[in-house]
Amino acid sequence: MIVYEVVVSEGEYRLLSLMRDKGFREGSLEEASRVLGVDVSTLASLTMLLKDKGLIDVREVGLKKLVLTEKGLDALSRGLPEERLLNIIVEGGGLVDIGRVNDVLGSEASIAIGQARRRGLIEVSGGYVKLSVRLDEARASLETLRYSLEGCGRGVYPELQILREFKSRGLVKEVEDKVIYLRLLEDPGEILKRVKVEVSKINSEMLREGLWRRFKLRAYNVEAEPPRVYLARLHFLQEFIEMVRDIMKEMGFVEARGPIVEMELFNFDLLFQAQDHPAREIHDSLWIKAKPANIEASYGDLTARVARVHEENWGYKWSPEIASRLMLRSQTTAVSSRVLSTRPEPPIRIFTLGRVYRHDVVDATHLPEFHQLDGIEGYPGYTFRDLLGTLREISERLNLHVKFKPAYFPFTEPSVEGYVRLPNGRWLELYGAGLFRPEVLEMAGVDYPVGAWGFGIERLAAAYYGVEDIRILYAGDVRYITEFKIKSQVG
Amino acid sequence: MPVLRFKPSRLYELTGLDLERLRELLFRLKCEVEEAEGYVNVEINADRPDMFIGEGLARAVKGLLGVETGWAKPKLVDSGLTLKVERVPTRPYIVGAVVYNVNIDSNDYLEELIQFQEKLHEGLGRKRRKAAIGIHDLEKLPSKTLIYTMKNIEETFKPLNYDKPLKIREVLENDEKGKLYGSISLLDNEHPAIVSGGEIITIPPVLNSDITRLEVGTKHLFIDVTGTDLKTISLVLNVLVSGLLERRNAELGLVRVESPWNGLYPKFEPRVFKVKPESINEILGTEFGLEELASIIARMRHNVKLEGDSLTVEVPPYRVDVSRIVDLAEDAAICYGYEDLGPRSSWRVMRGGLHYITELSRRIRTIMIGLGFTEVKLLSLTSPHTVKLLGLEAVSVEVLNPVQVEYSVLRPFMAVSLLQTLKGNLHNPKPIKIFEIGPVVYKRNDNVVDEEVLGLAIMDEEVGYEEIQAPTYSLLRILDFKFKVNPAKLPFLVEGRAAEVIVDSERVGYIGEVQPEILEKLGLEYPVALAEISLSKLSNATSKVHS
Repeated sequence: MIVYEVVVSEGEYRLLSLMRDKGFREGSLEEASRVLGVDVSTLASLTMLLKDKGLIDVREVGLKKLVLTEKGLDALSRGLPEERLLNIIVEGGGLVDIGRVNDVLGSEASIAIGQARRRGLIEVSGGYVKLSVRLDEARASLETLRYSLEGCGRGVYPELQILREFKSRGLVKEVEDKVIYLRLLEDPGEILKRVKVEVSKINSEMLREGLWRRFKLRAYNVEAEPPRVYLARLHFLQEFIEMVRDIMKEMGFVEARGPIVEMELFNFDLLFQAQDHPAREIHDSLWIKAKPANIEASYGDLTARVARVHEENWGYKWSPEIASRLMLRSQTTAVSSRVLSTRPEPPIRIFTLGRVYRHDVVDATHLPEFHQLDGIEGYPGYTFRDLLGTLREISERLNLHVKFKPAYFPFTEPSVEGYVRLPNGRWLELYGAGLFRPEVLEMAGVDYPVGAWGFGIERLAAAYYGVEDIRILYAGDVRYITEFKIKSQVG
Repeated sequence: MPVLRFKPSRLYELTGLDLERLRELLFRLKCEVEEAEGYVNVEINADRPDMFIGEGLARAVKGLLGVETGWAKPKLVDSGLTLKVERVPTRPYIVGAVVYNVNIDSNDYLEELIQFQEKLHEGLGRKRRKAAIGIHDLEKLPSKTLIYTMKNIEETFKPLNYDKPLKIREVLENDEKGKLYGSISLLDNEHPAIVSGGEIITIPPVLNSDITRLEVGTKHLFIDVTGTDLKTISLVLNVLVSGLLERRNAELGLVRVESPWNGLYPKFEPRVFKVKPESINEILGTEFGLEELASIIARMRHNVKLEGDSLTVEVPPYRVDVSRIVDLAEDAAICYGYEDLGPRSSWRVMRGGLHYITELSRRIRTIMIGLGFTEVKLLSLTSPHTVKLLGLEAVSVEVLNPVQVEYSVLRPFMAVSLLQTLKGNLHNPKPIKIFEIGPVVYKRNDNVVDEEVLGLAIMDEEVGYEEIQAPTYSLLRILDFKFKVNPAKLPFLVEGRAAEVIVDSERVGYIGEVQPEILEKLGLEYPVALAEISLSKLSNATSKVHS
């Protein structure tokens, strides 16, 4: 049985494998980087880790290195003094006055003459300097010297004699360079046989190939903050709306839908609002630019009843033109009145939930468009107390304790409003409700009592979620929607 | 709802109750009470104009408390005033009354009286069109004979609070009230006026004369009400007079009206109902006995007599809201208290259900988040600027009376609000994938159509037709709709990268890439692909398939 003594990371494992494959046993960090194809910084950190595990010897060693002195650099750029001397002699046609040499080379004149003479290139006599060999020989000799000096600049050691000469002339010097030297303490193939690899994740290959046995899952900082994830999410206002729909369905109500663009007939007239009633004025509702509907063709019987009831009760001439004007429904009771005008067979429990439109400026508590829930319920023998019962049931299912308040609506009698106390202590009007007035039932052609109510959804949702400003319900910022915290504060 | 303000001292004097107790009682009478700057503001429902003055409010409260019940018929006397009515085509009707011993004893009371008049103008009076009230100091009337007639607007009178006479025309043109109400009853160059002793004392519905002005110290009042409907002006007069008759020692003086509706006014007669407890109980679900009901109804300030198995109820003439038994039922419920009435415990079990479009939209919503789209909730009222930019003006429907330009047109396509929303999301990590199911409203031929539509959109560094086509296809396939697509042209989509989706040979939606020119004009620096599918049309398709 093999005992795995050493745990290494994936990176360390890969490095050891490379060393095995490339046959690397020892060398400087730079060399290893070149041979293994791993960048120096990665290599340095991985080898330090392997050193800690006793698999590799890493040490810093000093290596001597040849560099040019300033003088040496100068000689390379301007020429060695003896080279320059040679040029002066050539200019003089193979012979030059020593005074001229001193003039041109200054303090370097004597070193130039000394060196050239030592090489047997010149001779000095009678105040003159002249070549003692052929010019091409002299040039070749000095070029060799120059190559050596250039080599020193790249760190290449010349022959010992020349090295000494350069050193004594102060053209080069030796410095000590620190390098990191790596030496594996065993054959990497052997090491690989006895290590166990630590990994951050197990992958499919490890499972397919059974390699997971060779790996160890690294312990994780389970308290660290995870990366942020962006999810897709349903909108919290719509979720609230669907919850309300479910409550209505559970209570035995059937959902109806009606048009958003509605005739005044269903929005107002059938709800017993006189055509000159202030609530029908232009600053409360929104109308659209469109040709009026043809109500008499489609709703002849209904309009005849509406005309009669209005004229008897309000004392004015009812106008079918006004009733046929198109508006954006200002209340979902328009849908209830439509449903009622189809004279449904009792018992009925019908609800609708949709958008309504008002002539309001947008602020923290108003929108020109919002949702209402409207319900109607009726059968022979249905009473106001049955209505109160239904209202209480709805609010209890919403986890709200509601206080009843007598109220006035043109189309209901008796009428009631429901108030709920919010966590901030304010009273919120939750709904308006009542029994449809006999006049409404007469117009619709219904002969059993019907209770009706309307809830404003946004204000309720805002209270439910603890949102202060209802505009937030329509903020289109995806980040806000997906990170919205659901904390129901009511109840 | 009308809001009326009262001096706290007046309310205390009239009811003897502190504000908290008053607030509770008024809550039960449909009112809401707020304190503000030395006044008590009471929001009173429009159906109870009789409570628009302190005495009327106190009358209702004392009844609820049981301190006073029923209704005291006023003492009637002949005032000796005669109102001769000539032809006034623009507001033909007039009635009048005298109330003695009103005694305007303070500025607070005078202020309340004028507030009472103004609130009656607004509601029942329909901003003075249907009914307008003039209140005069009886003792200052030049003559006991008054003539209601049309006067040429070049004639002069001394208007209220002016120190010199003006032509009627000048009042109509320059006075604040003249500008507001001057056109209501003007006909050619003539305006209605009441003349007494040769002097104009009022030009209804605009302004009284200074001659008959009210002030602290005024004792007896003459009231005129003019308008376009005799029933309404009679009601307004009754409501006003009944509030004044609550003053100590007040008496009602009748005025002779000489006109086709000849007679003595006001017609201060109660409406009489014969009520059996069953007829109230079957509305409310209560079990009131005869005597209990009698006492409750009396506390609502009706006069009640027991006669055999029924009650004879006399409803005072100021209760404009009571016209049927159901209205008395509400009074009974209010007096008993809605909370005490409580719900009936029986619960009928019925089967509920959701609309097909709701069911469909729920299925779509869960699939859409599965496809990685976040749901947004947007207004369907939108800006005409964006609609125009998308080339959709011709099919869009405008609001006739918008409040703000940004909300003055209905979106004809979901694309309009989806693109606006994407603009608000430029700073968020891409891709942005959103959807909404909501209404669109558009014109088809001459008709206005509204539909419930799914709109979905993707905005990313790079995005194209396929990226929006793929989720749309998945959705329609999961929902098991047989569909096909045809190349299509839409004004805001790139040609050759737009298709219409057909179900049952009807076009239910489209898929496509938004034109770069439009993106640039909207300030969207990322490409957008979007699609729309009409749930309303899909629901038609299903009903056809399944039927």
